[in-house]
Amino acid sequence: MSIPAPTTMGPPGHITSAQEPYPSPASLASATTTHRQGRFEISTRKLPISKAGPIDAMAADVGIPIPEMIFGDNLVAVAHAPSGWRIEFTARDALDAVDKTGESMLQVSYARDWSATREISGVKEVVKPFDWSYSTTYRGTVAAAEGSGEAANGERRRTSFVDEDPAAGGSGRQIPLELLKRRDPILFFDDVMLYESELDDNGISVLSVKTRVHERRMLLLARLFMRLDNVLVRIRDTRVYVDFATDEVMREYTAREASFEDIKRGLLMSGLRPDEITVALRDANKVAELRELKVVDYKMESVSLATS
Amino acid sequence: MSDLDNAIAQLRACRPIPEAQVRELCHKARELLIEEGNVVTVAAPVTICGDIHGQFHDLMELFRVGGDPPDTNYLFMGDFVDRGFYSLESFLLLLCLKVRYPDRMTLIRGNHESRQITTVYGFYDECLRKYGSANVWRYCCDVFDYLALGAIVLGASNTLSPPNENVSSEVYEEEDIEIEVCNADGDIMSRFTRQAADQKSPNGIPARTGPPGSGASGSSGGSNGNPTGAVLCVHGGLSPLIDTVDKIRLLDRKQEVPHEGAMCDLLWSDPDEIDGWGLSPRGAGFLFGADIVKVFNHRNDLSLIARAHQLVMEGFKEMFDASIVTVWSAPNYCYRCGNVAAVLELSEDAGGEGVLARSNGEVGRSDGGGARGVMAESESLLKSGPARRYRVFQAAPQDSRGMPAKKPVADYFL
Repeated sequence: MSIPAPTTMGPPGHITSAQEPYPSPASLASATTTHRQGRFEISTRKLPISKAGPIDAMAADVGIPIPEMIFGDNLVAVAHAPSGWRIEFTARDALDAVDKTGESMLQVSYARDWSATREISGVKEVVKPFDWSYSTTYRGTVAAAEGSGEAANGERRRTSFVDEDPAAGGSGRQIPLELLKRRDPILFFDDVMLYESELDDNGISVLSVKTRVHERRMLLLARLFMRLDNVLVRIRDTRVYVDFATDEVMREYTAREASFEDIKRGLLMSGLRPDEITVALRDANKVAELRELKVVDYKMESVSLATS
Repeated sequence: MSDLDNAIAQLRACRPIPEAQVRELCHKARELLIEEGNVVTVAAPVTICGDIHGQFHDLMELFRVGGDPPDTNYLFMGDFVDRGFYSLESFLLLLCLKVRYPDRMTLIRGNHESRQITTVYGFYDECLRKYGSANVWRYCCDVFDYLALGAIVLGASNTLSPPNENVSSEVYEEEDIEIEVCNADGDIMSRFTRQAADQKSPNGIPARTGPPGSGASGSSGGSNGNPTGAVLCVHGGLSPLIDTVDKIRLLDRKQEVPHEGAMCDLLWSDPDEIDGWGLSPRGAGFLFGADIVKVFNHRNDLSLIARAHQLVMEGFKEMFDASIVTVWSAPNYCYRCGNVAAVLELSEDAGGEGVLARSNGEVGRSDGGGARGVMAESESLLKSGPARRYRVFQAAPQDSRGMPAKKPVADYFL
């Protein structure tokens, strides 16, 4: 089924109105906004939620049920033009990094009560176990540089991330937060949703990617926010920092968790009224500030794309 | 009745009515709903709608597309509230229409019509914000407890009536159209004939008989124009504890949606591509497969189950050889999904001369199917569905709604 195109069409690109026709795959390119800064190209694409056909195809491809709000055509990409190196964030690859075995499967808070009263039904088999909280460990999809990493002078270029952990022989460098706190003009900004699930009204799991580009540097934040009501809250942040002067890219992954009760208490202690807490519990940015969240996984890497 | 009409006018303008009036309305609604059974019997023609979720302007668009009440009969399958910004106005308007036109509006309960869910997903906060107290939320929740759990549509026709005055009814009599999809203006987008649907008569001869008086030969299926099997409407789906519609009638529904038992399942369960019953990986909630739906429909003389509860991008999704359909009526869900919405229109049976089919849908007519050897009979004996028209529509124009800005506001996130 297709919706007839209205007679007046807005400019291609970001959806500004629900009245706009749905772009065909052929128009994906025209829906992409690209900003050039230094030797990098930063692209974002925002389109409506995927249709039934593409969703079924993605479910078959990835092998797990797809969240009900899936922005399968959305994209955030950072590409280094001279080397062809590229990191991108897509819903498909993010879902591919969700546990498909059911090993780390969570249960809703009332699961015990629910199942205790259901024994009479005789239904025991769990259908397609997988991590239905969609707690992905996704840190972006890196495409290797074209030309097999050979620079013009024949010198071999390193175009894959290396660990910055001092224990692994790294330099221990960090993303320069102080520079990023400066109010430098933002030349390009976008906030792109990749997927969201309401977890069947048991909370929320949402993955979105923000990016801001300044003259000298840029920051990208891919944040997974998962709240399972009365059970658990997770924040998994992937930050990509690019220095346009040195063509150096840093990638930091921080996974944090806290119990739902601790998060609620933390919000209460931050001075919110009880009725404001339900609102705050839906706000990844509010929750992410809480000290109750403890780091459970951390990784820092970098890659230098300079042609030397 | 003028008070009620004034309230309807005010709510149609998306303005909340005073707390005292809400209280009175909810009181009247409860008196009305308490008289309804757990499964309400509804006669076609009727337009069946899925989740609304407080998207008031899109509800207005739905009425524009489907016809204004009371000229069109409506059946809403729950989830009126939460997530959208105008849960209060949406629910109160539907409730006013229910009280004003009780026989032309049917409201059944969704899983969001619950105290526990509305405190988490927005309706409670909205009431608090708009009235400064939780009283209105409490009045509404008391009404939720009295909403029916399901509805049975009787007397739906095999033959559609035209979608607008520009289309002649002849084509529907000649071509045996099972499914028609229209856009918001009533223009036909696609059609599926029964022959195409089940491939039974590749030579183009209608598989069933012609319209009354056309002289077309009869078949065991009865003459065309006769009512088809009944349509069961529930918010979520089936329950392993429920094998007949009559068992739904026996539930004690006047309570908060429990975690236990069949009432919870009817509001929460989902169809899935599985065999038999399964447990959701979430640790709560049932999934049911095509075999479950087919056996249930056969046993209960149903031709179709209509349900809501799950977002479907095209507004409707038929599954399991059209034995169950999901209808979704919240376009651009949460103001950012970009999905279309749909309503399902069932036409009145013209040939039945006002006589409803003897059906399990009527109270006390069930034999439970136990004596009929359900499993032994072949699938071909399943009732064919009524002719269905889906009207697909997009979100209402987004002007002056106080929606969140579409363009992201640049911020110095870290």
